[in-house]
Amino acid sequence: MPVDDIKPTRSGLLLVRRRMALAERIHKLLSMKLDGMMLELVKQTDRTARERRELEEKHNRAREMVAVAAMMEGATGVLLAALSVETYPTYTAGYKNVFGVQLPDFEPVMVKKTLDQRGYGILGTSSVIDDAADAYEDLLEAIITSAELEEGVKRLLDDIERTRRRVNALELKIIPELEEARRFIENQRDEMERQEWTRLRRIKKIKAKRAGRL
Amino acid sequence: MPLCGPISPSCIYACTRFRVRRTTLLPREEYLRIMRMSIPEVVAHLGRQEYGQELADLAHDFSGAQLIEEAVHRNLAQSFRHAMTIAPGDLRTLTGEYLNRWDIANVMAVLRGTVHGIPRQQIRDLLIPAGEIDSALLDRLLGATTCDEILEGLQGWRLYPVLAEYYRICGEQGVFARIENELYRQYYAGLLELGSSGCSGCQELIGYLRFEIDITNMRNLLRLHCAAEACDIAVIDRTMIPGGRIPTGLFRKLYGIETEEEFVTAFLATDIAPVLAQAVRELRQDPNFSSFDAAELIWQRWHHRRRPVHEIEVAVTRVRLHQLEGLSRRHPFSVLPVLAYLERKRYEVANLRAIVRGKAFNLPSERIWQYIVL
Repeated sequence: MPVDDIKPTRSGLLLVRRRMALAERIHKLLSMKLDGMMLELVKQTDRTARERRELEEKHNRAREMVAVAAMMEGATGVLLAALSVETYPTYTAGYKNVFGVQLPDFEPVMVKKTLDQRGYGILGTSSVIDDAADAYEDLLEAIITSAELEEGVKRLLDDIERTRRRVNALELKIIPELEEARRFIENQRDEMERQEWTRLRRIKKIKAKRAGRL
Repeated sequence: MPLCGPISPSCIYACTRFRVRRTTLLPREEYLRIMRMSIPEVVAHLGRQEYGQELADLAHDFSGAQLIEEAVHRNLAQSFRHAMTIAPGDLRTLTGEYLNRWDIANVMAVLRGTVHGIPRQQIRDLLIPAGEIDSALLDRLLGATTCDEILEGLQGWRLYPVLAEYYRICGEQGVFARIENELYRQYYAGLLELGSSGCSGCQELIGYLRFEIDITNMRNLLRLHCAAEACDIAVIDRTMIPGGRIPTGLFRKLYGIETEEEFVTAFLATDIAPVLAQAVRELRQDPNFSSFDAAELIWQRWHHRRRPVHEIEVAVTRVRLHQLEGLSRRHPFSVLPVLAYLERKRYEVANLRAIVRGKAFNLPSERIWQYIVL
């Protein structure tokens, strides 16, 4: 609040004090939120890093399994098995609220399938196809989980950045300005009080002088 | 219909031709040499051999591992069609019945491709016309736009009755898997029926087929058991191929067993245990690996709901082929030399495919070698 806009009155002082209390309370809450979000971020990044490592392992395994399947059944056999897929894997997207931040919550749908649901005949295929299908189902699930976590970390980081800016603004600008305004009003009011006191004293002296003359 | 009843001169001639053709297949040293080559070198090397024509024909459409795979498949189809032409009368019937498995794969690919709206050329590339259904009929089937048209075009096929019986609504959930399973069950039933007609070597052929059925059933039982949720007994009945030495009832019983002692006892009572032991002995170079160890090994996989080890599956295939070759040597003028050649040719193609695919995925040579059937 610019100092010029402040009226050095009691109501002005009360207004500034009220604003100051509010700013301090918000600062405290936002600081707590920031700390909470930082803790959540550390937890999420650890989990994301772990999931990413697992994703890489699963990707390598899926590549290996499809290589073995291509070796034993040929690319033709693998493609024929892939043609049998009747229900395509997908996911549902929802949100969960963490410290007021909407983090994505993805739920895989028809990613993990039973032998029956995969659509290929057991007698026309071999276990390498099952292994390759399993490996790719695991990989898809890991991709969905990783996407959910990584998007969550991004949103959390964005919100942390925004909250940090607010905390800094409160801490370094708004609260010091209000503090300055409060000091200014108090100084002004003190000055006015002193002036008033001096004026009254002067009047008293004049009145006393007049009374002595009479 | 008796097959090759009293050994006829044409049968002797045909069997001799198949034995000679068997010697033209790639020997072990050749595989070792190919293993050391890069993919372009393999293409050049195979181009100088019997695969040259196919490689030259396909070179403008494919490259690398895909080119080799397509070329060896085309060569396989040609070899099998040639085998059909040189097999005399009744022997041809049995060969045709045996090659029906390629027709099943082709028909299922055409049906699935049509339902899913896959481009015709893409489906065409997946087909291996090594069975009775020739390229011309496959092309006609590919021209069909609905499943009904495809079925109409297949009316002359020997497995058509199964297709017609199980086909309900094209694209219905799970219907193709059921049809595919039933076609393979009928395929084995047809072979066993034909084998029981009393031809030369047919008894041995039936023995071999029953052994193959047992191995397939056991492998599929392990696959079903390792699924996350328990499957219905009806699924086991639908999936197990009848006609093996091990009755399907025993597989049903095995599926419910959860104690080691009971499982090992039941498994040791089957003919699979000694074969598995022999396969693992050869794979691990461990002469002390017994049938009991084999049963224990299967129990460990069973108990932890894990699938069969691929390398062991390949080792069992090796043992199976050696048995077939042993039988074909003991019965040189029977259906067995024909089947021995067809199986060896099939695995020559599988070996070449495994090598180039393994190389394309940068797998180490030792790993690739474990998948080679010699």
